[in-house]
Amino acid sequence: MRFLAALVFALLAALPARAQAPVSAVAETENVRAELLAEVGAIKPGQVFRMGLHQKLREGWHTYWRNAGDAGLPIELKLTLPPGFTAGPLIWPRPKVYDLSGVVSYGYENEVLLMLEVTPPATSPPDTIRITAEATWLVCEDVCIPEEAKFAIELAVSPEGRAAPAEVQRLFDAARRAVPLASPWSARYGVARNGDPTVVIDAKGLQADRLSELYFFPADWGVAAHMPRQNIVIGPDSIRIPMRKGDGKGKPPETFAGTLVMTEQTGDAKTVQAFDVTAKFDASFQPPPLSTSAAQSELDLWEALLFALLGGMILNLMPCVFPVLAMKAASFAQFAGASRRRVRMDGFAYGGGVLLSFAVMAAILAIIRHVFGGVDWGFQFQNPVFTLLMAYLFFVIGLNLSGVFEIGGSFVGVGQGFAAREGSSGSFATGVLAVVVATPCTAPFMAAALGFALTQPVPVLVAVLLAMGVGFALPYVALTLTPALQKVLPRPGTWMIRFKQFLAFPMYASAVWMIWVLVQQSGADSVLYALGGMVLIGFAIWIWISGMAAGRMALFGRAAVLLALGTALAATVKLQPGEAASTEATGSGVVMEGWEKFSRIRMNDAVAKGKPVFVDFTAAWCITCLANERAALETTATRRAFEQAGVVKLKGDWTKRDAEISSVLKEYGRAGVPLYLYWPPGAHEPRVLPQVLTEALVLSELSQVPP
Amino acid sequence: MARSRPEIGQVAPAFTAVDSAGRTLRSDSFRGKPLVLEWHNPECPFAGKHYESGNMQALQRHAIARGGAWLTVFSLPAGSMGHVEGVEAEFLFEKRRSAPTALVMDPTTRVAAAFGALTTPHVFLIDAAGRLAYQGGVDSIASTRIEDIAIAVPYLRNAIDAVATGRAPDPATSRPYGCPLKYLPGA
Repeated sequence: MRFLAALVFALLAALPARAQAPVSAVAETENVRAELLAEVGAIKPGQVFRMGLHQKLREGWHTYWRNAGDAGLPIELKLTLPPGFTAGPLIWPRPKVYDLSGVVSYGYENEVLLMLEVTPPATSPPDTIRITAEATWLVCEDVCIPEEAKFAIELAVSPEGRAAPAEVQRLFDAARRAVPLASPWSARYGVARNGDPTVVIDAKGLQADRLSELYFFPADWGVAAHMPRQNIVIGPDSIRIPMRKGDGKGKPPETFAGTLVMTEQTGDAKTVQAFDVTAKFDASFQPPPLSTSAAQSELDLWEALLFALLGGMILNLMPCVFPVLAMKAASFAQFAGASRRRVRMDGFAYGGGVLLSFAVMAAILAIIRHVFGGVDWGFQFQNPVFTLLMAYLFFVIGLNLSGVFEIGGSFVGVGQGFAAREGSSGSFATGVLAVVVATPCTAPFMAAALGFALTQPVPVLVAVLLAMGVGFALPYVALTLTPALQKVLPRPGTWMIRFKQFLAFPMYASAVWMIWVLVQQSGADSVLYALGGMVLIGFAIWIWISGMAAGRMALFGRAAVLLALGTALAATVKLQPGEAASTEATGSGVVMEGWEKFSRIRMNDAVAKGKPVFVDFTAAWCITCLANERAALETTATRRAFEQAGVVKLKGDWTKRDAEISSVLKEYGRAGVPLYLYWPPGAHEPRVLPQVLTEALVLSELSQVPP
Repeated sequence: MARSRPEIGQVAPAFTAVDSAGRTLRSDSFRGKPLVLEWHNPECPFAGKHYESGNMQALQRHAIARGGAWLTVFSLPAGSMGHVEGVEAEFLFEKRRSAPTALVMDPTTRVAAAFGALTTPHVFLIDAAGRLAYQGGVDSIASTRIEDIAIAVPYLRNAIDAVATGRAPDPATSRPYGCPLKYLPGA
C-alpha cells in the first residue's frame, strides 16, 4: 500500500515534465462543455497572445452576451496570472437575438469562444507557467441554470514561442472573424419626445439591396428596449436605427454604444459583418417617436390641430385681411330680419369656399406626399443643407414681417374690391378668393404650416390643413351668426402693422435656432457661412427694393442680386456633413493611401516583370471589403509584410461600376466585389483569395515560396 | 413583438385573476394601499436566491407591515418548466415560510402581458393611488449568489419605504434580472 502511494506520488511529480503541451482544463456540465484555451503552444516573452473560454452548448440552450437583454446574465471569466502577466478586457464575438415570445435576449448557441489578450513580461525565463481561471455563466432554455467552473492550464515559455495545435488555431481564427470591428463611421443619436432613441450612422453610399438582417445590439441596459426586430433604414447618407426607449430613467447619456450586425450579399456569397458603434448624443436631433402609445399620438394630433386652428385665426389679423373683416362686420350689423338670414347664408357659403380652398391645397400636398412616398421627410432635418435653407427662409420671412420688403402689389385695393362684393351667390367664390387674395401676407405662415404638414402622414396632413381653414373662416362665420360680436372687434389701425412686425421676432428666433442646429451638424465654421449668407440675402433684397434692379442700372442691379443670392446658396456646398467626415477619403469614399490605382496595363506590366502583385477590387459601399481592409489588409503586420516582399499593391475602385474592372471580375467568375488576386513573384497565374480575409491568411500567402 | 409596459407614474393596468384557492381576485380591491406584484417561478435559481436566503419572505413581511399588500404571480403556462397548480403553490409557499397576501394563478400569461413582465423575479410596486411607482429587479446585483444580497442596493425595499412615506422611489426603474418568462402564444 505504502509502495503504491509512493508510486502515485512519483508519477504525479513527473507530470510537469509532460507539460510541454498545454494542459487545458475542461469542465463539463449537463448543458455546457467548457474549456480554457491558449492560442499558443509556448509563450514567447513579451509577445501578446490570446486565451479564451470555449463553450459547446446543448442544443436549444443559450449563454449570454455582455448585455444579456431582457433576461439572462453575461458570461464572466476571471484569469489568475503569474506575476508580471497582464490580461486585457474580454473580447465578445457578435451575439444573436433570441426572441422567446417577446422576451428578447442576446447571446450564443451551439458554441462560442470568448477571448482576451494576455501580455507576458518581456523577461520571463524559459519555464512552465500556470494560469488558472474562474468562469460563471447562466445557461437557459425554458429555465436557467447558473453554472461555474474552475480551470487550470500550463504553458511553456520559450524564446521563440510556438503555435497552438491547428484545431485550436482554427477555433481562434473563427472567433476572430466573429468579433466586431471598430466602426469606420461616426454616429450620433437623438431622442424623441417620448424617449424613443434613434441612432444615425454616417455611412455614405451603402446599397440597401445588398444588406439584410441588420440589428443594433445596445451594449448596455437602459437607453433602448431590446426589440425582436428593428426597422433599420439604409439611406444614401446614413444608416438610421429607430428604437423603442428602454427602461432607464433620467437624461440621455453622452454616448450610446452598441454593435451593429448585418449580412452583406457580396457577388457570390453572404457574409456577416459586425461593427462596434459609439453614438454621441445630439441634442439638436429630435427623431419622430417609434412607439407612440395611442394616448400620446392622439395628444400630439390634438395639439397640432389646435395650433393649426389658432394659426388660421391669426391669419385674419394680417393687415390685408383684417380691414375686410371689420368692414364686413360693420355692414352685417345693419341688417335685420330676412336680411339677417341672408347674411347667415352668406357666412356659410364663405366658410365653404375657404374650406374648399384648403381642401384643394391638402389634396395637392397629399399627391406630392404620395409621389415622394418613399422619401422620409423627417430625414431632411438631418441634412445641414436643408437646415441652412430653413434658416434663410425664417430670416426672409422675418424681414418680410418687419416690413423691409413686401411681396406682390397693392393688397389694400384688392381687399376693398373683395369687401365690396354683394350677394350670397358670390360669397362662396369670395371665400375661395379670400384665401388666394390674402396669400401675399399669409404666405410666410402658410409656408411654415405646409412644411410641417408635409412631414406628416396623409390623414394628419389633411386634418391639419382643414383645421387651419376652419380657423381662417371662423371669425367671419361667427360674425355672420352674431353680428353683435363686431362690438368686441378692435378697429383696424396701426396696431395691425405693429402686430405683424412683432411676429417677425419669433421668425428671427427660429432662424437663430436653425443656426444652432447647423453648428451641431457641421461645426463652428457653419456660423460664418450662415450669417454671411444672411448678409448677402439682405443685400440682395435691398438692391431689389431700392429700384436699382430696374431702370437704367437694371442689368447691373440684377446681376448684383443674382451674385449675392448665388453666393449665399453656394455656402451650402461648404457645409461638412458631420464633423467626422473622413478626411483621407477620395471622391468615392475608397481610401487609396498606400495603394496604386488599378489598371490592366499596370497589372500586366508588373506581372510580366515577375514582381509580386496584389490586387484589391473594392467599392465604397462594400462592407465586406471595408471589413477585410480593417482586419487583414491594413494591419501593421500586413503592411510590413507587403513592404518586405516588395509587393505591387493595386486597388480597383468599383464604386461606380468601372468597365475595365467589371471585365476582370468576369474573367474570375465574379459578379461583384470583393475580389483579391495575388501573384507570387514570377507567377503567371494569380491565386484567388477568399472573400473573407484574415490577417493570418494574407501573411501566409505573402510568405509562400514562389513555385 | 417587444413587451410594452405601463409607464412609471401612470395608472397601472387593472386585472382580474384567480388565486391559489380558486377565488376571483380583483386588482382594484387593493386600491388605497401600496401593492407589490412579484413574478415567480419556483424552478428558477434567481427566485431561489431570494427565497433560500429568506430575503423575499422578509420583503413580503416588510411590505405588509408598512400597510401594503403583496401578490406573487405564477405566469407559467401548463407544460412549461416550473408550472404548478394552486395547491402545490400553496404547499411550496408554506414550506418556504413565505407570506404574500395571495398567490395569483396566471397560466394564460395575460396578467404578465398587461405589465410586460420579463423575468422571474420581476417586481412592480403600485402606490395607494393605483399608479406604478417602481418596476425592475429586487436589488442591484444580477446574480444567483446569495452572498450578493448583502452588498446589493435593495431597490424594492427602498421603493416600499419611499412609497410608504409619500416619496417617489429612486431609481423608479432598474434592470429586472432572472429567468425569461415564457408567454403563451398570443398573450
